[in-house]
Amino acid sequence: MLNRNTEKLLTRCITEHKENVYRLAFSYVKNKEDALDIVQESIYKAMMNIELLKNPDAVKSWFFRIVVNTALDFLRRNKKVHAMDHEMIETYTPGAEDVYTDIDLKRTLDDLPEKYRGVIILRYFEDLKIDEVAAVLGENVNTIKTRLYQALQLLRVKMNDEPSKEIK
Amino acid sequence: MNNKLEQLRKEYDEVPIPEELDMIVSRSINQSLKARRNKDPKYKWFAGVGAAALIFLITINASTTVANALSSIPGVDKIIKVLTLKEYVVDESNYNANIKVPSIAHLDNKELESGLNEKYMKENKALFDKFQAEIKELKKNGDGHLGVDAGYEVKTDNDSIFSMERYVVESAGSSSEELQFDTIDKKNQILITLPMLFKDNHYIKVISEHIQQQMREQMKADPDKIYWVSGAVDVLPTDEFKSITKNQSFYINNEGKLVIVFNKYDVAPGYMGSVEFVIPTDVISGDLVSHRYIQ
Repeated sequence: MLNRNTEKLLTRCITEHKENVYRLAFSYVKNKEDALDIVQESIYKAMMNIELLKNPDAVKSWFFRIVVNTALDFLRRNKKVHAMDHEMIETYTPGAEDVYTDIDLKRTLDDLPEKYRGVIILRYFEDLKIDEVAAVLGENVNTIKTRLYQALQLLRVKMNDEPSKEIK
Repeated sequence: MNNKLEQLRKEYDEVPIPEELDMIVSRSINQSLKARRNKDPKYKWFAGVGAAALIFLITINASTTVANALSSIPGVDKIIKVLTLKEYVVDESNYNANIKVPSIAHLDNKELESGLNEKYMKENKALFDKFQAEIKELKKNGDGHLGVDAGYEVKTDNDSIFSMERYVVESAGSSSEELQFDTIDKKNQILITLPMLFKDNHYIKVISEHIQQQMREQMKADPDKIYWVSGAVDVLPTDEFKSITKNQSFYINNEGKLVIVFNKYDVAPGYMGSVEFVIPTDVISGDLVSHRYIQ
């Protein structure tokens, strides 16, 4: 019956965080269809391996970890093809439209090596605690702290390098 | 710096959430829960609304003592007949059911005959009742699609062996297929169980190892095939096929070979469907009680 309760817990966690999980998946694959696929696959994996969830309190970071790993697996499998959605294609196609500053910012984040990007997203966008970020990424807390610091450094450098188009 | 981060976060939060997300999430949850129940026999009867899975694993265990008590009548061919006793049919635009209830006739062992027939009747009645309950539930909550197709197929019918497969295919978005088998010794008029073919439980290990080997060989020969066996890519340790069960589904084919059957999702991803492994007789010959059934 223990599993029954864990199932309920997991179901609730998934339902509560479905939008976060979708955004997280999206941040890796950058398109709607693949992000939805990843959400779907992650749910399936989590449910089928619920026995591996040792500590029910950590259900959120456990599930996030599955999402991150599924997304990374997906990227690895589809390495050669870089997925682009409409917005991306428009951005890259020379056109009369203005290029918005936002996109530069986003690209800065996307330019970060994966290991830094994940830390930033989880810590600053998903508001996870450092130890939760560590659990999701399967690293120890100190590694995450270091990475976070380095990621911020890299971001700063990158942003300073680029001429600021932002006028507010 | 903080401003930039906030800006980035805003970007992140502004990723539009597709409409389908809710539907996909709840569907995935339901389907994976169902698949879980499928893996775990004790939940089988409680599969929820829209449940696409139902396994019957009840086996009537004919004991060997009963078997021995019955005198064999050598040289006399038994004519066993399977008839469709009853059909349950639902044919609406979104809901389809076609359940054929088999009934065995002309078995001399009347006890076995009525036992089996009763089992078939009861299981199929339960299946139909469940289906109707699900339809009712679905209609109440809007609408949906549901289909169930159950029936039987005689796998082997020769002088000594009669094997019948019964299947249940349920579809609700994705489909599931469940199989079960009854094999009858025609001469002795008994139901054959897997354990009674062998001297002791050693067969479980021998057959399991052989199947793992077959899985690896098949995967090597055909990259489209995937089994959950150790050594395969992307397989989680919990999903790995380790061993058959004592009363694993099986039948004996016309060549007198033992065939082990797994339900969909048991040992391979869903797209592989239910899978069968023919066990070469020399692999198990050391463990067989006799070569009467298996050649």
